[in-house]
Amino acid sequence: MSLIKTVLTRYVLPTSYRATAARFSSTDAKITTSNDEPVEMDNPYKKERRQCILCKLNITPDYKNYRLLSQFQSPYTGRIYGRHITGLCKSKQELVENEIRKAQNCAYMPYYYKDKVFLKDPKLFDPENPVRAHRF
Amino acid sequence: MPTYELALMLRAMPKPELKTTLTRISHAIFDRGGIIRNIENLGFRPMPYKTTAHGLVHKEANYFVFKIDTPTKAVADLKEEYRRDVDVVRQRVFLAQEPSKNDCTLEEELLPPAYREDVQKMIDVGKTQVNRFTYKFKYNSGLDYYPFQK
Ligand SMILES: [Zn+2]
Repeated sequence: MSLIKTVLTRYVLPTSYRATAARFSSTDAKITTSNDEPVEMDNPYKKERRQCILCKLNITPDYKNYRLLSQFQSPYTGRIYGRHITGLCKSKQELVENEIRKAQNCAYMPYYYKDKVFLKDPKLFDPENPVRAHRF
Repeated sequence: MPTYELALMLRAMPKPELKTTLTRISHAIFDRGGIIRNIENLGFRPMPYKTTAHGLVHKEANYFVFKIDTPTKAVADLKEEYRRDVDVVRQRVFLAQEPSKNDCTLEEELLPPAYREDVQKMIDVGKTQVNRFTYKFKYNSGLDYYPFQK
């Protein structure tokens, strides 16, 4: 008899608990409708997407614009600066290199030095402080 | 007909002569069924390096860029004609580039190497190769002798 009692209490009580729990959850749903809850939003500390200077200003390098291209050339040797110095994205760097090669071939731009007229042009980057370390 | 850019360097000469040269050059294009979209004059300026053409050394040139539409087969013919022209110092033909609109990928390129897509691809390729630092020769090769020099 006592066994039946314990079984009853064990199986009946949880159901009553469940009922009360359901009641509590229903009251919780009422609470969440208040305007003092956490707000869904983007990460406010997320940094702005970085862009290279040519993409930012929406410039497509062109071999006829040799003044712009000469800024990516060393004034001492005429060598084209690498991506680790210019800080351009891969596609723009490739475009700049191709256009410089075209301009040099068309005799718009010298191969082994920078045109002395353009020596005082503003510097887009500092070759002494590259974005990534030099290979050498 | 694709659009080409014809970069021409003409020798130093007085203006009326230059005019006749330019008309001669454009008539050569029209005769081959081409059209000229526009002509750009980049001016008369010293060349960055001296050029020899038709037995003369040129240090200055008139720079012109013709934007033309011609049949592809006519281009070689045009180049051949301008090569024979004594007023043309140097000439180059390029396909006119379309303004390409692609997003900047600098942000992805500045990530640490392990997060870069091309590096991950390289690591995946490396996993399929035999690592020559940890590779050990297996003696159950079916041969009853060691095939390499010890
Ligand atoms: Zn970019």
